[in-house]
Amino acid sequence: MGRHIVQRLLLSVPVLFGVLLIGFLLLQVVPTDPAVVLAGPMASQDIVDAIRRDLGLDEPLWYQFGLYIGRVLQGDLGKSIISNLGVAEELGRTLGPTIELLIACLIWAIPLGIAMGTVAAVFRGKLLDRIIMAFSVAGVSIPVFFLGLVLIWYVGYKLQLLPFTGRGGPLWSWDGIRHLILPAVTLGGVFVGPIARMTRTTVLEVLGADYVRTARAKGLTEPRVVVRHALRNALIPIVTLIGLQIGFLLGGAVVTETMFSWPGVGRLAVGAILSRDFPVAQGAIIVLALAFLLINLAVDVLYAFLDPRVQKR
Amino acid sequence: MTAVVAAPAAAAVKAPGRRSVVRRLARDPAALLASVFLAAVVLAALLAPWIAPYDPFYTDPSKGMRPPFEDAAYFFGTDAQGRDILSRLLYGTRLTLLMGLVALTMGGILGTAVGIVAAFYRRVDGLLMRVMDVLLSFPAILFGLAIAAITGPGLSPIIIALAIATVPLLARISRSSALVIMQQDYIDAARAVGLVDGAIIWRYLLPNCLSSIFVFSTLRFGQIILIGAALSFLGLGAQPPTAELGTMAANGRDFLFFAPHIATIPSLTIFAIVLAFNVLGDALRDILDPRLRY
Repeated sequence: MGRHIVQRLLLSVPVLFGVLLIGFLLLQVVPTDPAVVLAGPMASQDIVDAIRRDLGLDEPLWYQFGLYIGRVLQGDLGKSIISNLGVAEELGRTLGPTIELLIACLIWAIPLGIAMGTVAAVFRGKLLDRIIMAFSVAGVSIPVFFLGLVLIWYVGYKLQLLPFTGRGGPLWSWDGIRHLILPAVTLGGVFVGPIARMTRTTVLEVLGADYVRTARAKGLTEPRVVVRHALRNALIPIVTLIGLQIGFLLGGAVVTETMFSWPGVGRLAVGAILSRDFPVAQGAIIVLALAFLLINLAVDVLYAFLDPRVQKR
Repeated sequence: MTAVVAAPAAAAVKAPGRRSVVRRLARDPAALLASVFLAAVVLAALLAPWIAPYDPFYTDPSKGMRPPFEDAAYFFGTDAQGRDILSRLLYGTRLTLLMGLVALTMGGILGTAVGIVAAFYRRVDGLLMRVMDVLLSFPAILFGLAIAAITGPGLSPIIIALAIATVPLLARISRSSALVIMQQDYIDAARAVGLVDGAIIWRYLLPNCLSSIFVFSTLRFGQIILIGAALSFLGLGAQPPTAELGTMAANGRDFLFFAPHIATIPSLTIFAIVLAFNVLGDALRDILDPRLRY
């Protein structure tokens, strides 16, 4: 299992390199010269040149890229053009809320999706199956912003049941939870459908396997056959397939955060891009890509944990 | 009854012909409905300049925020600037579909080329597929954010992002079906009669991969529209006053509490189009390529 994880980590290296390259290129298109900004408007050309030498801006691009990687590895992502705060500092503040939102979404969407998919598989071809599948194809097709708009308008505005802007405070406070509900329902709402679809197909395949027939033959009750024998074996491909959907989830999170003014990384990225705050944009994109890599890695480790065959390798 | 029993065996031998695909689609009511709906949408989008009742950019603040279904002159009402929503919807659908089509075509051609080259020239297979794995490691939305950050918001960066995100997916699909076809006797026969590589690929390999590529593209089209609309909704895509469905929804968001129809009508349109593509894609997949079903 250790080898499996090391292998996966090695595979992440070229991806990481790509992420850093994109971040670096982003900073190359900044319309202002950092040396001029640092030197101030009154500085002479000599001073600007000196600063440029100091920062390595007169070196060839590949050398600058090396310097950039060194800085990023030390956690130095530059300063925001707009707020003049450190990018790492701004990102640090937004990471927590994003993780909160993702967990709040997954905590109900995954169990519900798996349950819906399993029930649909067991009642294959029956009315219940059709209803669940109709729901999930709708879930796969609905734009996340549409679901968000409907919830904001109906639950937030018409019924005045729940707040729909910003984060209400720490997660353990009542206000914190109330503010989290609508974003989590929006993001999870578009995630249940894909999970239910994948679960149904996987469970259907497993239900046809020999060991399920054996379990039935030895007289186990149907729920026991489904949960203990079929679902348990279906979980391995389901985990992989859920892992493949993480990019989709991340995209949904960016939209959800922006709609609900949730102070997360996605909203920070969109805001920075729209206001042309390049250092913040590159930092946020690097963090989003890293988060994506880490989640995928976690899914792989979980996969090894669930499937003993991978562990032995 | 015999036909039903014989069908799987026949399908294993050769892919169903075009006519039988249409017949089987027509037997599935959901797929039939989706096809009819999509045909109507495409037709309306194509004919937008002739059937739109008003200029989609003509503003008249005195007629702003008219509710839908009340006035026959403004069937879907008007937006905050007094523009006719039906007219903007027709033009917006046109642009959204075009965005998806261009992105899918660009990404599809490039991805198919990579996949087929990887399957045909096994020496470069490893390298090409590792590059595709790296591309696949980034979700489409991140490409969108990164490219929009470099070039500034706009329709072209979105299209490029969606195309790049499509390349590795189609490379994988076309590679796996090309690998199966490479095992067939007729490829060996083509080599034996001395055909050059290009001719083998063009005449035998590519045409036989097309059904998988086509099915996958249909399924992918809905996703492309969805991601593109989300990026536009975030303000990174087509810029106002351009009529694009995601941009229209974003514009209506500011007036959600006074005139919810401004945001919900374009959003519902995207939902319906993507739903129709997904229903159709599912049905096509079941008929043409049951192996793709996971």
